[in-house]
This record gives sequence, C-alpha cells and structure tokens, in this order.
Amino acid sequence: MAGLAYRSGYFFTIANNLIYMGIAFYLWQSIYGSREIIRGMTFNQTFLYLSLASSIFVLFQTWSDWEIGFQINDGSIITWMIKPLNYQFSIMASALGFVLTNLLTITIPTIIFLVFVFKVTFATGPGLIFFPLALVFSFLLTSTIDYIVGITCFYTESVWGLSITKDVIITFLSGSLIPLPFFPENIRSILEFLPFQAIYHIPLNMVIEPNQPTSEYLTMIGIQLVWVIILFVLSRQYYNKAVKKLRIAGG
Amino acid sequence: MIDTLKFYFRIYFQIEAQYIKSRMQYRDDFIISTIGMLFSSLTTVGVFWVIFDTVPELDGWSLNEIIFIYSFYLLATNPMQTLFDHFWQLRIHVLKGTFIKYYFRPLNMMFYYVSEMFDVKGIMQLFLGIALFVYSSNSLGLVWNLKQLIYLIILLLSASLVIISIMIVAASASFWIYNSFPVMDLAWRLREYAPYPMSIYKGFFQILFTYVIPIGFISFYPSQVFIRPEELTPIIFLSPAMGIIFSFIAYRVWTAGVNSYTGTGS
Repeated sequence: MAGLAYRSGYFFTIANNLIYMGIAFYLWQSIYGSREIIRGMTFNQTFLYLSLASSIFVLFQTWSDWEIGFQINDGSIITWMIKPLNYQFSIMASALGFVLTNLLTITIPTIIFLVFVFKVTFATGPGLIFFPLALVFSFLLTSTIDYIVGITCFYTESVWGLSITKDVIITFLSGSLIPLPFFPENIRSILEFLPFQAIYHIPLNMVIEPNQPTSEYLTMIGIQLVWVIILFVLSRQYYNKAVKKLRIAGG
Repeated sequence: MIDTLKFYFRIYFQIEAQYIKSRMQYRDDFIISTIGMLFSSLTTVGVFWVIFDTVPELDGWSLNEIIFIYSFYLLATNPMQTLFDHFWQLRIHVLKGTFIKYYFRPLNMMFYYVSEMFDVKGIMQLFLGIALFVYSSNSLGLVWNLKQLIYLIILLLSASLVIISIMIVAASASFWIYNSFPVMDLAWRLREYAPYPMSIYKGFFQILFTYVIPIGFISFYPSQVFIRPEELTPIIFLSPAMGIIFSFIAYRVWTAGVNSYTGTGS
C-alpha cells in the first residue's frame, strides 16, 4: 500500500512499458523483414513473448533487495531479528503486497492495451492453465534472488551496484531481452542449465506454445520447483553465515 | 571573464575532491557498481550480437555499423553519466528541503549543484566506448583526417548537450511534482533506444525521437556523417543547433524551477 502514495509513478511506469513495446514492435519487425519464421518463432509470438516479459519484469519489481539493504544499513533489521518471525518470509510477504498492487495498477492495464491496441492474438490451449502456476514459481525465484542480493549488503554495506548487476544479468540471461530460441545453440544449452530461464522463459513458453503435451508442462514446473528449493536452501545458509557480519553503530 | 572561468575551474575541482574522498569509504560498492555498469553495456553489445547471429543486417545496417553507432552513444552519454550524476538526487534534496543550501552560495546554482558529485564508475564506460569506437572504425575501414576529427568533436559535444538537457528537464520536474524519479527513469530509458537506426522506427516514434525527445541526435544522426557520408540527410545539420536550443530550454526550465521552489517550510 505504501506504493500507492506516489500514484503518478504508476502512470510513468505504464508509459515506460508501452513505449518499450512500441519500440520492440518496430525493432523486431525490421529484424523479421520479409521472413515468416525465425528460429521457429513467428513475429507475433516473438512480440508477445517480449511484451509479456517486460510486463512480468515490472510486475516483480518489488525493491525488496533495496529494502533489506536499507534495513541493514540503518540497523532497523535488528527489530526483525528479535521478533518471533522469519525474516525471509516477512520480506517475501511485503514483496507479495507489491506484486498485487503492481498487478492491478500496471500489468492489467498493460495487457488490456496489448490486446486492444497492438491487437496481439494468442493461441489457446492447456499451456494457458499452467501459466499462472508457473508465474507463482517465478515470483518465488525472483524474490529469493532479491533476498540473496539484499543480504549481501551485510558484506558490502551498499546495494546499488549489486541490484543493477542483478537486473542486467537476469534480463539478458533469462530471455526477457531476446527470446531464448534466438541465442546460438551452444550458448542456449548453457542458459538452460541456469536458474534465470526458469523465471521468464518457462512461463512465456507456455503462452506462446500452449498446445504441447501436458507432461512437457509438468516437466517445466518441475524444473522451476527444483530451482526454488535449491535457491531457498542456499539463501537460508547464506543468511546464517552473513548475519554474523552485522555491525550496528553503538551495538 | 577569464578570471571568473579560472575561479569556477578551481572551485569545481575542490568540491569534487571532497566528494570523491567521501565515496572512498564504500570501496566494495564502487567495484561492484563498476562491474555492473560494464555488464550492462556489454549486454547491449550481446543483444546486437545475438540479433546479427540470426539476421545478416538490420534495415540495411551491418553489425559493425551498429557497434560504431553504439560507441558514439557511449561517448556522448558519458558526460551525463559522470559529470551530471547529481541530478538524480535532485528530487531527494527538494523533498527533504536540503536543496535550500544552494541558494546561499555566491556561485551559479546549477554549477554548484553539478560540481558536488562525480560518478567515478562512469569512467569504465568511457573506456569501453573508446575501445568499441576504435574497433568498429577499424573494421569499417574509416579514415580519420583533421576535418573529420573536428566534426567528431562538434557532434559529440552537441550530442552530449542533448542528453544532458533532456535529463535536466526531467530532473527539474521535481520542483513541481516532487517525485521526479519516474520522469527521469522514462527519459533515461528512452536513451537506450538511441543506438538503433532511426529508420526502423515508423511514424509516431520517428517524429518523437527526432523533434520532441531528440534521442536520434544522441548517436544515430551524427554517426551517419562518418559511416555513411554519401547518404547524409539535411537533418544532420540540425545537430549542433539541437544541442544549443535544448540546453537553452533546459537552463530556462531549471531556472524557473529554482525560482518557484519554496522550501519545505521547516
């Protein structure tokens, strides 16, 4: 709810996202030129993929890594440590609040715009049913990564550099800047072993190719689940290690 | 006149030195941010590389030509990145009321405000820009003579003025709407579309990027002078004028904002 205090911000975020879509539309139109299909994707699929990717990026923009950084720097993290609550879950819960406000104020208006102005069409199929579930896992992945980045602040005492590095790496390696199928084959096989593609490529693949066999979708969700568990376990251990570094003025 | 310039020059370095000393305490963050900035520029090159791996040309432009345009863009936006970084903080100063201190110095306010910050990590992008510039101009077989170097300096300067002016106008919005971050963020993201050929943007966007928010003048139009001199359009002669007109507008907007600011009342 705190986010609602700056309402004009939403207007600019939506504008930002729409301009990005407009640019992506023209850029990829000139990349496609007269070609029908590149790397197994039609122009329509590519455009849908990229515009949804940027909408998901905005949706998951919860600033929780910044929040953790501020709390570590001004020492207010201590008030969380003495509460009988899990710090990670409370951070995730407040991130979820951000996601829900983002969903109502940014994502839904953008999708409406996408359908009525850009007139994108998408095929329907069982993939669309799995999409929301995959998004939930994407949220768990992004918020765990944000948490890990935030906690690194115990060591670095500043979050700016880490946060932008994280955004750059994730957007490039997850397929949200360029769809994963466009990467050269050998690079692509490396990217598929990284957790980032599970955030964007998996849910987006469900939308652009919604008619794969159900077992395919279950495998994708399984991959996401494995990454959630790995990152979650890592983040707990990392926190226990990093928290010993905490120094607070006067403490 | 010369004395005033000398005076401002000396003051500038004194204020900057203080700022850099105060930044030195966050050395880890400096290293990580530098790497992060470098990464973000390298991913743009990565995007070009992946695109050109699938198609041989983009609206008639080759990979090396696009890299040249991009290196021009890195060089042109670098002054904004390193010297004018303090404008990102303007909204915080305005909101908290700390902006009031700039009224009480016997210096030009914009000068004093700008000199309080220097973004050291931007230097890396300058190096990357130079490296890509040399690389792409070599692979395009460009020949540089004195006349072209003079053109290059003039065009780079006016391109820098354009992006700086855009950002100053966006930052000055905080005098009226308080939180100017989304406005600056929008302007700063638009800049990212500058290294693509303007010819791919049709209709609305082409007019927007040429006349309204002239990011076309940040790198695409000026780069054409060097890589496609035979295809020059008259629009390129607007370039220096654009720089001057827009900095004039930006200074006016800033002054109007400064004059309308009433503090926080505490």
